[in-house]
Amino acid sequence: MRLGRHEITLDPRPTLRPIYTVLTAVVAIVVALALSSVLFLSAETGPFSAYRIVFSYAFFNPRGFLATTHRAIYLLFATYAFLVPLRAGLWNIGLPGQVFAGALASFAVPLALRAAESPTPALPPVLIIGLMVAAAAAAGGVLGGFAGILRARLQVNEILVTMMLNSILFWLVSYMIKEGGVFMGATAEGESFSLPPSLYAPLLRGVPFTAVLALLAAVFLDLLFAKTALGYRIRALGENPAAARYGGIIPVTLSLMVFLLGGAFAGLAGYHYFAALPGVYKIPGNYGYYGDLAFYGIISALIARGSSLGAVPIAVLFAGLSLGARFAQGALHLPFGVDYALLGLLMMTFVGSQVVYNFRLAWRRVPSEAASSMTTGMPEA
Amino acid sequence: MTAPEPLLAARGISKRFPGVVALDHVDLDVRAGEVHAILGQNGAGKTTLMNILFGLVQPDEGTLTLDGRRVRFRSPHDALAQGIGMVHQTRRLVSAHTVLENIVLGHPRARGFLNLRRARADVETLCNRYGFRVDLGARVWQLSEGGRQWVEILKALYRGARILILDEPTSVLTPPEVRTLLAGLQALVRDQGVTVLLVTHKLPIVMTASRRVTVLRSGRVVARLPTAEATEEVLIQHMIGRDVAFRSVGRSHTAGRPLLEVEHLAAFNDKGLLALRGVTFGLREGEVLGVAGVTGNGQEELAQVLAGLRPAAGGRLRLDGLDVTHLSPLDRWRLGVGYIPAERAEVASIAAFSLVENTTLNYHFDPAYTRRGLLDDTGLAQLTQRILSAYNVKAPHEYVRAQHLSGGNLQKLILGRVLSRHPRLLIAHLPTQGLDVEATAFVRSTLLDARASGAAVVLISEDLDEILSLSDWVAPIYEGRFGAVLPHDEADAETVGAMMAGLPMREAGAR
Amino acid sequence: MWELLARSLEASTIFLFAGLGELINQRSGVLNVGLEGLMLFGGTAAFIAAQTTGSYPLGFLAGLAIGAVLGLAHGFFSITLRGDQVVSGMGLWILSFGLTTYLGSAYTGPLGLPRIPTVAGLSPFFPLGVALVAAGWLVLFRTSLGLAIRSAGENPGAAEASGVPVTAIRYLCVTFGGVLAGLSGAAYTLSYNPVWNYNFLMGWGFVSLALVFFSMWNPWILLAGASLFGMMWQLSLSPELVLPGVLSRYIWRTVPFAITIPILIVISTSWFRTRWGLARPEALGRPYVKG
Repeated sequence: MRLGRHEITLDPRPTLRPIYTVLTAVVAIVVALALSSVLFLSAETGPFSAYRIVFSYAFFNPRGFLATTHRAIYLLFATYAFLVPLRAGLWNIGLPGQVFAGALASFAVPLALRAAESPTPALPPVLIIGLMVAAAAAAGGVLGGFAGILRARLQVNEILVTMMLNSILFWLVSYMIKEGGVFMGATAEGESFSLPPSLYAPLLRGVPFTAVLALLAAVFLDLLFAKTALGYRIRALGENPAAARYGGIIPVTLSLMVFLLGGAFAGLAGYHYFAALPGVYKIPGNYGYYGDLAFYGIISALIARGSSLGAVPIAVLFAGLSLGARFAQGALHLPFGVDYALLGLLMMTFVGSQVVYNFRLAWRRVPSEAASSMTTGMPEA
Repeated sequence: MTAPEPLLAARGISKRFPGVVALDHVDLDVRAGEVHAILGQNGAGKTTLMNILFGLVQPDEGTLTLDGRRVRFRSPHDALAQGIGMVHQTRRLVSAHTVLENIVLGHPRARGFLNLRRARADVETLCNRYGFRVDLGARVWQLSEGGRQWVEILKALYRGARILILDEPTSVLTPPEVRTLLAGLQALVRDQGVTVLLVTHKLPIVMTASRRVTVLRSGRVVARLPTAEATEEVLIQHMIGRDVAFRSVGRSHTAGRPLLEVEHLAAFNDKGLLALRGVTFGLREGEVLGVAGVTGNGQEELAQVLAGLRPAAGGRLRLDGLDVTHLSPLDRWRLGVGYIPAERAEVASIAAFSLVENTTLNYHFDPAYTRRGLLDDTGLAQLTQRILSAYNVKAPHEYVRAQHLSGGNLQKLILGRVLSRHPRLLIAHLPTQGLDVEATAFVRSTLLDARASGAAVVLISEDLDEILSLSDWVAPIYEGRFGAVLPHDEADAETVGAMMAGLPMREAGAR
Repeated sequence: MWELLARSLEASTIFLFAGLGELINQRSGVLNVGLEGLMLFGGTAAFIAAQTTGSYPLGFLAGLAIGAVLGLAHGFFSITLRGDQVVSGMGLWILSFGLTTYLGSAYTGPLGLPRIPTVAGLSPFFPLGVALVAAGWLVLFRTSLGLAIRSAGENPGAAEASGVPVTAIRYLCVTFGGVLAGLSGAAYTLSYNPVWNYNFLMGWGFVSLALVFFSMWNPWILLAGASLFGMMWQLSLSPELVLPGVLSRYIWRTVPFAITIPILIVISTSWFRTRWGLARPEALGRPYVKG
């Protein structure tokens, strides 16, 4: 773009030091928060005190902090579910569907074992819980793998397939909890049956054991991508599929694998939220909200730039923000959807930060003789 | 007698790109109704000069004059409006569209509703006037390279070009197509008064087709003379600047045992057409087979089938007696096959990865560098360092991203990476394409070193000189078949060139 | 029966408008996977504008305007910044999904305006849709602008060398695509189902995207596909008309989405691909670098 005798262009930046990665992530989040203060303008107290309510509830209130922790674990699983295929260059936006699949599968296990009816189950509870976890991961994995194999073998766009599966699973859950016979809750309130206390997930200071799984997974994933040959192959595939093929890397198996793994993590998120959290232990009527919450996984994976350990603080922050925002929304009588708006703003600032990260504004004086100069490529013969 | 007033004149044209002076105060005179050749090597500045004449590039200094008036072309639009048309080195056609659609695209007269019927009538009149025969309804992807080039010429003429700039028009043509082109151009000049600027690095074209020639070297004009007064030796000297005795490879070394056997190997291209129609040859250790041909005759498919990146549609491939026809690329890497693809930035390397990670591309499966699934980072870094120094790759350190390397350095890295595996069979597809003189020489001598250490090398190239100087066996390829497999002493430029054009061996030999 | 057909056709216009817009910008080489987001935002803006001002024209205008702005933003990111078009599209979707949930929540509920009049039960949008398809086909295949658009999507280098301003053409198409996406959303919230609810599209934008691929970038086939899908959707809402009592209505709701998947599979097979591959704009999704 020209302005008189000068021109402004957007030049790609050469590689920056890693500190900039962290810096732009932080800036993106801060800017999003600043922007979302607009959301709180309609509150009587004004943005600053609104944010104080948000943060104090999320991080300094014992109940709020516990809820934040619970949600952070959920978001971490959702983040991994998106992150693993992303490294291979694939988009798994089927998170809600896979979460629902995981939830359905976990609840199907006790039903299948008839443990829901009797107070003393036939198998030891630990084993049943283990089966529930495995079933959740398997169900999510299968759903993800379905999209993965279609992508791998037939190049079917995974965005479209996963989105279709989201809708299908959404209605399937509706069916199960409203017309699903044994699946339904005791009260005809449009929710699933509640888990018997014997199948409650073991807690440590109020936090289910899934926290350990989530943290272990973070370490596991970072090691996988940084140190292993398999992780290298996935990354190569994501960066340059043609070069990866040249190097002997087969896209079919890897595409399938990352979707199986990603889907499995989303399934675990489903187990965690609906079957492992105190106060829940069922699939409630507003399950759709939790499916939507999984989309935060997309943002945190993108902001963390693919690092799963880096995603941990981000997930904690987003968990707190969305919970606190909900709480503030109630306390300050704000319109519904503050947390959704925050999600949207974060995406916007993330993309904006990407632009800032990758480009810089260059201000140049145009050489005198040449009139309007178009930037040209490298010299040819 | 004073020289006639030039139709198009350039004075003092200079152009600088970051780090390089492409043109340095160049003057050019083009007279009406002549074929004027611009001669020079790769990198002499010919294309830059033509891009300036066509308005694609703005000069830093200098002026242009057309019909005696000062002109400035801010874009091809201006140049086209003034009657200058350009046919580029690479095709600028939309292959999915018809010939007519391509010719009409962007024409200023075709505003609003596209009256295709009227356009067709106009173009047909044009074709008759110039004596062209082309199917206007054919899709461009169905045409041969020569046909496509004529579509581009027709397009320029339809835009009313009086001056036609052709940038390396013969580089992808077979000799018969070249003859057709030159004859057609002569007719255009003689009968229609079109002026032609022919940019080339090929001497025979200059000698046969042009009336005057301007020689560029390193961005400067070093000679300007009527072709009738020039000889090939003089022109070469101007082009290169010094006498270059072209040294050929020493033939002292003898080949080892048979390594590669290829029988009737065939393959489809991406459009589903049979591009490789059954080639048969054998190669021993320490031998180089030079596959010579114009791009588009099945070379890409041949390279990919040998490397395992494309399924064989028929035939057999045996490496040291083992049938590897259907083996995956990974297994071939393990068996000692090495492949240097033509697209170094798109296929042979990953731009965003570091140099070490790029080395890993050929080592991620190697048990020497992986332990129970974990990569040996230190070992790979050391290996990369060794490659960087042995192959003279200019890079700040081994963790810099590959996108920051120049083309020549990247190619050296790729070469080093592939050769560090000591492949028994090396497939090199257009290994020196787009490289400067120093890098080209380095790559060629590296290929000879590989040959000396016992590798069998399949060299696929468009550069006949390269093929002739490096190969023990020469196989001209045309439309997916080998014309013959000639031993070194029977392969000369004429014979090979003729077979590249599809003339059978008997005829070729009789020339 | 006629009501079912009329409603089906009305539903199909939603897919049609969005799909046609996307078809045009894909023809020029720009891929927008965030179509759903533009539709959501357009629909929400239209609903809010109409609700607050009581005027349908203003509502539609708001929807079109928002669609244009978002299309332009996508264009800026994809064309000028040469960014990854999928990232930008996904970003716009999540942005819209999040913001519209918040912005529209205060307006949840029915639109308090009299319904847009229908002619013999058929909404006026259907003939509009057909007219747009005809116009789209005409422009793309019978005008020089259309030739320029198609060339920009097949081989932008060739187009540029012929004097076609590829950047301008792409911006034009992506903005126009945004306008149509906004129209689609507005048609949904103001005419087809004038009740605002968060995420009211439930994935319809992605279905439209699938339809564009399926249509082989031909507006008439898109019309056929959109009509078919509209009919399927309408049937899934009232399955008792066709197959009474067979399955739960919740299961029926999954049918349109479930059918899309095998369609996507079929169009990806090699038989279909060899025909389809030739129709696909070759430069789709790839940033154009001048020179």
